[in-house]
Amino acid sequence: MSYRQPMTAALPPAPKLELRDIRKTFKTKSGPIPVLSGLSLKVMNEDFFGIIGPSGCGKTTIFNIIAGLFEPDSGEILFEGKTTDSLRGRVGYMMQKDLLFPWRTVLQNVLLGLQVKGKSAAESKEIARDYLNTFGLNGFENSYPRQLSGGMRQRVALIRTLIVDPDILLLDEPFSALDYQTRLYLEGVLVDAVQKFKKTVVLVTHDIDEVVALANRVVVLTKRPACTKAVHDIDIKVHNPLAARSDPGFSNYFHMLCSELEIQTDKRAA
Amino acid sequence: MTIASESAAPPAAQDRVQTTRAREIRMSRTQSAPFWLVSVLQLALFAGFLGAWELAVRLGFVNAFLFGSPAGIYEKLVVMISDGSLFFDTGVTMMEAILGFAIGTVLGSAAGLALWYSPFVARIASPFIAAINSIPKIALAPIIILWFGTGLTSKVALAVSLTAIVALITAYEAAKDVDVDLQALLVTLGGSKYQVFFMVVVPATLPAVISTFRINLGFALVGAVVGEFISSQNGLGHVIYTASSFYELNTVWVGLFVLMFIGFILYKLVDLLEKVLLPWKQISASQNIRL
Repeated sequence: MSYRQPMTAALPPAPKLELRDIRKTFKTKSGPIPVLSGLSLKVMNEDFFGIIGPSGCGKTTIFNIIAGLFEPDSGEILFEGKTTDSLRGRVGYMMQKDLLFPWRTVLQNVLLGLQVKGKSAAESKEIARDYLNTFGLNGFENSYPRQLSGGMRQRVALIRTLIVDPDILLLDEPFSALDYQTRLYLEGVLVDAVQKFKKTVVLVTHDIDEVVALANRVVVLTKRPACTKAVHDIDIKVHNPLAARSDPGFSNYFHMLCSELEIQTDKRAA
Repeated sequence: MTIASESAAPPAAQDRVQTTRAREIRMSRTQSAPFWLVSVLQLALFAGFLGAWELAVRLGFVNAFLFGSPAGIYEKLVVMISDGSLFFDTGVTMMEAILGFAIGTVLGSAAGLALWYSPFVARIASPFIAAINSIPKIALAPIIILWFGTGLTSKVALAVSLTAIVALITAYEAAKDVDVDLQALLVTLGGSKYQVFFMVVVPATLPAVISTFRINLGFALVGAVVGEFISSQNGLGHVIYTASSFYELNTVWVGLFVLMFIGFILYKLVDLLEKVLLPWKQISASQNIRL
């Protein structure tokens, strides 16, 4: 069953991940700061789900709640229709920083997740070598992260994320620290991998370009405290960083999302 | 994998260029000052110092009775080596210092890391740690000799009292500073607190722990020698103390030079240990830019 299946089917499938009315306030010395005020969203199976919003609106907080790093004040997280505390240990979380362990070699970094889960070392190494070959990193198994370029490090981080076969990939501006050429390349690698392994992805980004090219659904958040402002299906034939950018619909979506974010800046100014 | 195969070549090629560049930088650094030249200059500096000293004594600028002389030191050295006493005293002091260093550093580092594990205990302990740290540990020497006697144990105990608190504070501060994002990453992968401790906190703290080894080797030698000053039958501290009370300055210098030599060798051993335990640090050091 594909996510392209219309929602009008007799029995609509339960969303892969659903957030219901999530609220979170941070207590600081200068008073409480409400970050999420009743956020709800539904991510279907094999969605490439984009989240955009004004900077500092709490996008990363959403991920930290899904990943089980923070507890929400109230609200529900549902995974495949069942309430759950968090998806700790079941997500692949990738951030802007590659977060490779400097004391581990490339191979050891890639094996981190499998090691945490107590998988057998010999078998894991086989899988890891396969991934490293696929991503053009063969010959670098025993290098340390410091010896690699930024693009290579982020590729290692991507392998580390994929190799544990997570239920959902949480990508928090994963490529924003890279140059444009490397970013396009890695976006392509990501899309290929996601389609090949049939992954569900949630992508947080500032880059409207990126979200239109990659995502099939985008939620726009309000400024802090964040809740859902609008949800858009991005109906572009091929979600691949180069082809999508030349799709006739691309610029329409781009301008629509831009204006939605701009309206908020106008409101703030008023 | 269409995109990946299309554009795989350019970034990969770029990456290789970058790594070779790093290697070039490393090579140009080592080429700029060859090892033999540095060694020759160091030896020349040492020989020049001894020569100037000896000359000053011979010409009467410096009083040999109060300052000793390189020739006199050499004579004493030969005597102390041939009767075997130097090796015995050196062995005694090294034993005290190394035992004190090992026990103090291991206990201190372990306690410091354990405080990361329980912030609650750390909060309770912190004023006591600050208080213990502010005692000049040497002031404890008379009590320690009373408690542990005049033999090996009291010197080891003194060295432990000097080294443990340094190791504890360094390990705890370093553990507190470990990148929270690295810890968070392990948690999202399903890591337990135990796994975060052993897979993130301990390896991330290791460089700081090893760098305290250098400081603590010095402190352990201080503990051993001061312990020997106060009460002992042998050891380099004993040699220095008794010789100075007879105004045998050359013997005092033999003791001091041997202490210096021990300290130097132990320092080099820490360098070696660092290379073995922290291979990833070596790489970053070799990528230093030229200034």
